[in-house]
Amino acid sequence: MANISVFLCKCFGEIDNTINFDFLREELSKDPSVVLISIVDSLCLETDIEKTVSQIRESNSDKVLIAACSTLSRGNLVIESLIKEGVERHKIGLVDIREGCAWIHGDNPEDASKKAKDLINMGIAALQHKDMSDDMSVTVHPNALIIGAGPAGLAAAMSLARTGFKVNLLERSKVPGGMLKLISRCYPDNDDASNKLGPYLREVENNPLITFYPQSKITSVEGDTGNFTVHFSFQEKDSFIQAGVIIVATGAKIFFPTGLYGYGEIKNVINQMEFERQSLNGSLETKKPVFIQCVGARNRERPYCSTICCPISLKNASRIAEDIPGASVFILHRGIMTPGNTLEKYYRDTLSSGVQFIRFEEEQPPRIIGSDYVEAVEVYDAITGITRKIETDLVVLSTPLVPNNDNVQLAEMLDIEVDRYGFFSEIYPMHPLETKTDGIFICGSARWPVSSDHSILQGKAAAMKAVSYLRQSKIAASTLSRVPGLKSGHARVVPESCTGCGNCVAACPFDACHIEKLEGRYISIVNMMKCKACGSCVSVCPNGTMQIPEHNYRMVGEMIKMAF
Amino acid sequence: MNQPRILIFACKWCGFIGADAAGKKRISLPSRFRVIPMECASLVETDAILRALAGGIDGIAVLGCHIGGCRYNNANHTAIKRLELLQDLLDTTGIGSSRLLLSFGTAHEDYQFEEIIKNFFDELTLLPPLDPWL
Ligand code: SF4
Ligand code: SF4
Ligand code: SF4
Repeated sequence: MANISVFLCKCFGEIDNTINFDFLREELSKDPSVVLISIVDSLCLETDIEKTVSQIRESNSDKVLIAACSTLSRGNLVIESLIKEGVERHKIGLVDIREGCAWIHGDNPEDASKKAKDLINMGIAALQHKDMSDDMSVTVHPNALIIGAGPAGLAAAMSLARTGFKVNLLERSKVPGGMLKLISRCYPDNDDASNKLGPYLREVENNPLITFYPQSKITSVEGDTGNFTVHFSFQEKDSFIQAGVIIVATGAKIFFPTGLYGYGEIKNVINQMEFERQSLNGSLETKKPVFIQCVGARNRERPYCSTICCPISLKNASRIAEDIPGASVFILHRGIMTPGNTLEKYYRDTLSSGVQFIRFEEEQPPRIIGSDYVEAVEVYDAITGITRKIETDLVVLSTPLVPNNDNVQLAEMLDIEVDRYGFFSEIYPMHPLETKTDGIFICGSARWPVSSDHSILQGKAAAMKAVSYLRQSKIAASTLSRVPGLKSGHARVVPESCTGCGNCVAACPFDACHIEKLEGRYISIVNMMKCKACGSCVSVCPNGTMQIPEHNYRMVGEMIKMAF
Repeated sequence: MNQPRILIFACKWCGFIGADAAGKKRISLPSRFRVIPMECASLVETDAILRALAGGIDGIAVLGCHIGGCRYNNANHTAIKRLELLQDLLDTTGIGSSRLLLSFGTAHEDYQFEEIIKNFFDELTLLPPLDPWL
């Protein structure tokens, strides 16, 4: 049994006005493991911390228990100041007797005092059995691997290279640029796509820190945060790169609405991508285009809004309305989506350029009239209740972006998640662009359909998140916590008692443990770089082999015994 | 009148924040409950709950985050599934599943924590005290 010194903080009356400290002192002195009981005015005072530290040094105690306010108030600061003075982290315990006792039982001082006694006894019991996790660290490869050279990947590459880090930029096609290469103008500023792309392409060409790998495809990924090894085929030869971080910027693909509104069968029914191609090469000829929104989107199969197709239609419709004299342009929609501070104005500008909007319902979609050439579109106007027939020479279908086919495969290699549609996803909304594996980031339309501007923004943001890893020469597993401060520990296996049952492997939400054969037996091995100390493995281990040292079952068991 | 004793396993990202907030607001609560903060509801071992009940604690509450709001990649899903199985077991053994309160995503605010604790107390008051086995 460790000797424990207990410090009771009065918090200037906030605690001892309710809780009887004489009673606490009397009760605590019955515990033979308590070698020092000290009552302090306020551990927020530097002088009281100093006094506490010197008392700890003078006493023959091994561990320190603080009874004060909650960790969410100033408790953690008290712990940190003791650590700064040389007390080891795992030898400090904190019991909250202010928020968790004095302040909620102010009307019943007697019960509050008894409860405080129990809470402190629980704290002592826990501290007796508290242990410390192992830690490890990896040496960081100070360079990044970016998958995909569309706007998101290019922006990330430029940001990282200009911050001084080496970038390997992998691209499946022959040239960089992604979808921006295929379109003529970008919304909402109507700038030429080539203008937007230009600076990035020049950067790839001229910045010696960026190495571009066209026609490459990832085949396998090994390693952990700071130290990934990525194997890929580059122009049909096998190659590999070691990188500290990986940024996934693989984009998305256009949905081709075969069979809808005669697409694929009727010549003058096209999608937005073909519209872009025709306006890029000058072959576009239309005076009476009809744009139909949400083709293959916001339906049962794809219940999401792709967010980019409404602004694209606004862009292309207003362009015809403005450039071609006498043009008649219609957008048939199910509610125009233009969120944000720029797109609403874009919509209003399109309205004033003469484009007409008709709203239809999902159950009553527009009807194409004509079998090998569409002459008109019939639509039931959901607002006026009138069916209208619109003459046309070109029907443009607005289709959503859909995930790339190999997203699931790539996600498995990288050990990150995809959402229910197949876009790459964060595991927790409070950590945007971050994935299940620390050091792997997602950005642009690989994550969710976004405009080129937003792709660029996300690419830059991902790059800056990546820098926080790359600038370290070594990364300790305990620092990969994603919240201020350290992780609460790492799961630990006792090899002697592990039966290799694999329950922990099945339960771990971070794929942080696996079964290995060691000295003829199968046992579970925890990868500390991945472990987040959630404890899922602990609660399914049939024999208590898997434990988190800072919060082990002995501690919990003893706390329960002392609870009342 | 029966004075129940309650043990609460509170996820530090949710129930614990609610408990703390109730403290900051100085909401008056019955005193016979103890909170053990957990990294995640998924760290709550079923045998800890059984031991607590066997030791004479009348009610156990596990407070975790709402579905989809887990910090640990939906670790709370598995926790819920496992603890619901335990509730079934408690029913079969005659201890009764009403002694194990599972609440996910409902105790993050001070008043929510207050409501959960008070209701649980009221419920347990109606049950006979659980004689300690150990
Ligand atoms: S952006 Fe517009 S067209 Fe695209 S899915 Fe959303 S509502 Fe439909
Ligand atoms: S504590 Fe959580 S993350 Fe770590 S090995 Fe166990 S289940 Fe996996
Ligand atoms: S659950 Fe426990 S016994 Fe089974 S493999 Fe994991 S650590 Fe070993």
